[in-house]
Amino acid sequence: MNTVTMKWLLRREFWEYKGSMFWAPLAVAALLVVSIGATVVYGLSMHHIPTHVTVNGQTIDGYTVGITLEAKSRIAQVASSVYLAASLPLFGLLTAVVFSYCLGALHDERRDRSILFWKSLPVSDGMTVLSKAVTAMLVAPLITIVLGTCASLLLLLIGCVALAANGINVLGPVLGSPDLYLSPLCLLALLPVYVVWALPAVGWLLLVSSWARAKPLVWAVGAPLVGLLLVKWISVAAANVSGEPLGLMPYAQDVVARLLGGIVPGIWFTFHDGLPHALRPGPDGADVGSLVSGSYATLAHADAWLWALAGAAMLYGAMRLRRFRDEG
Amino acid sequence: MSSVISAKGLTKRYGKRTAVDGIDFDIPAGRIVGLIGPNGSGKTTTLKAALGLIPFEGALSVLGFDPRTQRDDLMQDVCFIADVAILPRWLRVKDAIDFVASVHPRFNREKAERYIAATSLKPSMKVKEMSKGMIVQLHLALVMAIDARLLVLDEPTLGLDIIYRKQFYQNLLEDYFDEHKTIVITTHQVEEVEHILTDLMFIREGRIVLAASMEEIGERYIEVMVSHDKVSAANALQPIDRRTVFGKSVMLFDAAAHGVSRQQLAALGETRNPSVADLFVATMKGSYA
Repeated sequence: MNTVTMKWLLRREFWEYKGSMFWAPLAVAALLVVSIGATVVYGLSMHHIPTHVTVNGQTIDGYTVGITLEAKSRIAQVASSVYLAASLPLFGLLTAVVFSYCLGALHDERRDRSILFWKSLPVSDGMTVLSKAVTAMLVAPLITIVLGTCASLLLLLIGCVALAANGINVLGPVLGSPDLYLSPLCLLALLPVYVVWALPAVGWLLLVSSWARAKPLVWAVGAPLVGLLLVKWISVAAANVSGEPLGLMPYAQDVVARLLGGIVPGIWFTFHDGLPHALRPGPDGADVGSLVSGSYATLAHADAWLWALAGAAMLYGAMRLRRFRDEG
Repeated sequence: MSSVISAKGLTKRYGKRTAVDGIDFDIPAGRIVGLIGPNGSGKTTTLKAALGLIPFEGALSVLGFDPRTQRDDLMQDVCFIADVAILPRWLRVKDAIDFVASVHPRFNREKAERYIAATSLKPSMKVKEMSKGMIVQLHLALVMAIDARLLVLDEPTLGLDIIYRKQFYQNLLEDYFDEHKTIVITTHQVEEVEHILTDLMFIREGRIVLAASMEEIGERYIEVMVSHDKVSAANALQPIDRRTVFGKSVMLFDAAAHGVSRQQLAALGETRNPSVADLFVATMKGSYA
């Protein structure tokens, strides 16, 4: 393993997919700041101080005349703990970007035959496939986290300034809140959890990408869906014959969810107990720490690791295909 | 290690079709070998096998490595152009140089920049903005700057105009080649490479029909401009090819095969060494039928 080569392989991926990995999320982040920011500023300046402030679904009652210190600190607390929620659309975009990236990563180079150029250099197939998996599971999410944090901070600042212009100065308490600084770190801390849960999906998509002669999207989505239909049909047939349902459907659905949905950030909460209770926003905002501990708790189940192993095996398969496939 | 590429019983089948049919050959170091054959004769398949791009049967050793299992080691010392104009559309000239310079220990950046300076390529240009000829120029500049022990060129100058083609082969010979390097070239434009080749390999229907050094070929094959009165005498010596140029019969003889001597042939008319193209046409007769 050569770290210099790996660095340049990652850079290579970034050159190729700069549009979807950097410019698209940047544009969405800018749009978020402008649209939400303008709405907040416009709303506050038109209607002046509301009797209560709603931040991401959290309602804090205030008074039109002389807001209490306690209300102020609660506004600050809620704002500083849930402000990152403003970047949610970026994580939705991330899912789409990673999905299309994985499908194209090993297919496009075969379609335009540039694979013959890359393979004329002393870069192994293992390194190349690894660089693509790392791009999907670490580089793209990192870019999203950084852009999302910047956009959210900007929005928070706009909100504080707008409130201050209306006589409610919460900037001090917001800046003094530890959650303000902890939240981005919590997002970063979630990255390893994301890698484990995204591995089966990234492995599957890259495998299809290196295998399909054409239309990797149809194969990647179609094959699991056809499999699901088959299982459904067998279950129904079996139920008719023996009167007992086979109970295969939940397993089949689980497989499809992991192969296609694994790259959705936070998908891990849906496989077991659902969202931890502490995460559901309460009157004091969200408990960001429990988001992290709840996420890591999902890794205590063996299935997470077994599926990650399956994902790694599919990556290995993608590497072998790239190694020996005759591109004509 | 005497030979750079050594094949024994090299075979490649695509389903029922046999593309390469149990061929044996040895290419020593310090040679420039022309691998010549009609389309579909198996020359590209042979090169792909040697470069570890496809699985195959038989024994094949390239620089002492087995291309099937030791490709990563092999690629440290080998470079190739498998097809021209296949650089990815999004690649910039300067990024391409940076990338190859960083991953290839034998890449000489100054050399690549010198080659590129001789073209109309600009560092910030993307491949999608280039003409086909410019893409080939970039690809050749990158490859020529790699100090590989074995360079494999499969139709390297396709799409280039004649001035640049000549320039390329000139650079290849003067600037790139030395006694420690080996170059294997396939091309349809035989006449452009024959003056730089040291060895010839003709391949037809997956088999090697001729493998010899240029000196051996010069001794073995003789072309004679036969005078009118000696045509029947010449025909009796079993020429492998005959054609008519300006009303004169031109016959090609294989001195090794039919035991004809140079003196015998000199009596029939003016003798000379055949061009590789003529020799190729004579050898490949029937391939296009």
